[in-house]
Amino acid sequence: MPQDPSSLATQVLARFPAEVLEAFERFRKNGDAGALEALVVAAVVDYRPSPAASSVVVTDRTRLVEDLGYDSVAVAELVFFLEDLFDMTITNADILGVATLGDLRDCIIRKLAEKSGAA
Amino acid sequence: MNPVVTGVGFITPIGNDRVSVERSLREGRHGIEAVEFLENPEISVKVAGTVKGFRVDSTSWRDWSWPQEFAIPKDVLRGLAPHGVYAICAVEQALAHAGLGARDVAMNAETGLYCASAGSAMLLHHNLAKTRVARGMRGNPLGVVSSIAGTLNFTLAAHFQVTGAVCGFVSACASSSHALGYAIDDLRLGRLKRVIVVGAEELNADSVLPFAHMRALSLQSDPRWASRPFDTARDGFVAAGGAVALVVETRACAEERGARVLAETAGWGQAADGYSIAASHPEGAGLKRAMARALADARVAASDIDHVSAHATSTPVGDSAEAIAIGELFTAGGFRPKVAATKGLTGHALSMSGVMQAAFGVLSIDRGFIPGNPHLDVACPESRGLDLPRATVDTAPVRILSNSSGFGGSNVCHVLAAP
Repeated sequence: MPQDPSSLATQVLARFPAEVLEAFERFRKNGDAGALEALVVAAVVDYRPSPAASSVVVTDRTRLVEDLGYDSVAVAELVFFLEDLFDMTITNADILGVATLGDLRDCIIRKLAEKSGAA
Repeated sequence: MNPVVTGVGFITPIGNDRVSVERSLREGRHGIEAVEFLENPEISVKVAGTVKGFRVDSTSWRDWSWPQEFAIPKDVLRGLAPHGVYAICAVEQALAHAGLGARDVAMNAETGLYCASAGSAMLLHHNLAKTRVARGMRGNPLGVVSSIAGTLNFTLAAHFQVTGAVCGFVSACASSSHALGYAIDDLRLGRLKRVIVVGAEELNADSVLPFAHMRALSLQSDPRWASRPFDTARDGFVAAGGAVALVVETRACAEERGARVLAETAGWGQAADGYSIAASHPEGAGLKRAMARALADARVAASDIDHVSAHATSTPVGDSAEAIAIGELFTAGGFRPKVAATKGLTGHALSMSGVMQAAFGVLSIDRGFIPGNPHLDVACPESRGLDLPRATVDTAPVRILSNSSGFGGSNVCHVLAAP
């Protein structure tokens, strides 16, 4: 049986600080763009695989692979998490277009728009 | 020249380092505790050989904890199964014991890694269930590498940067004895100079309960008596988890770097029963042949063996079969090596049991003792001709025969000798 998307999101966010959960609630209620940004940043920071990259300050132009030490498996894990969080399917083609944190946020915004258009 | 063992590492129900393992073996202290699976008190399995000092029962690695002295970076942890955490801790201990650092084995084309585990039924089930909920549209990207049989090879090889050879062995409860056997062969053949051999198993509802459904587990609730190999009152095995690692090297490799040799891996043999999916041949035919082959490979006679480390898991059929096989090979010829079944203390750790017994044998040789059978009360008729000391014997064995048997009638035996 398909799971309620918002309860799945709550589950996958359970380990995050309260402000991330609050951001998700704000995003869910009114599509707050700042809240979406906070969620993507929290996910990108959380899924960094390499401890060596821990001191990097994350901005819109931070590159996942070069700056944060992401490898292909870590990217796949991050994408899996975002798919659960936003109840969407992110394709390989979508991922190929993502190099920076800003690219990823824009990709999610585009996918959400496609989803609401389809609905 | 036979290979030698230069390091051992233990995460076991009876201790998480070689000092506490030796103390438990010498003092006959068991590591079996009351357990409740799936928060269901109705489940008939009441005890297990638990691993202490770790919390790896969650399906998320983010919830796990382990003893602080072992460093497991996040990028490694995310791909591990629960028993992979045990395995890394055991390998780190074994390397340190052998006087080796991570840099000595990393990117060293002469060092191999031979592993045995059943994989993680818990994570496999969890990840596939999630995929079903998503109607096949997505799944955990690390679901495969963290859960299938082989997970130890994948994750440990990457973590320790092993470039010599990496291999996994799946022959149920003989798996890690196979891993050690083929490590010995590759060292003898000059293919490698050093092999890290590791066996590991997790202990949770998904790893244990399927054996209850086969009616293979003890249903006794007293941890002191549930695992009692060779006893007339035995009623099944007690499941256990953990990890054990050995560093096995060519003698030349060990001597060149001045390493202390703990024991020699003098020979090994294997043979199959050709009899049943799960049960042993009732007279231990394959096991007897495997023991004889191990002795032949080590170029020793039955009279040269002073201690047999029995596979005996406390199941009615298996222990009888092994007792008969040992009796035919030794007692019938007038030889009575001291026989001990350490699963009375540890429970049965499945794939890792062979390497665990081998590591116990290394400790026995190096530290000068033979474990007893403290849980044995009334020996079963088949084992009455065997010398089954109840208490620890304070004598160093010179040659040990260590037995393993697995589903499908796979039997693997090793001879370990004083260096």
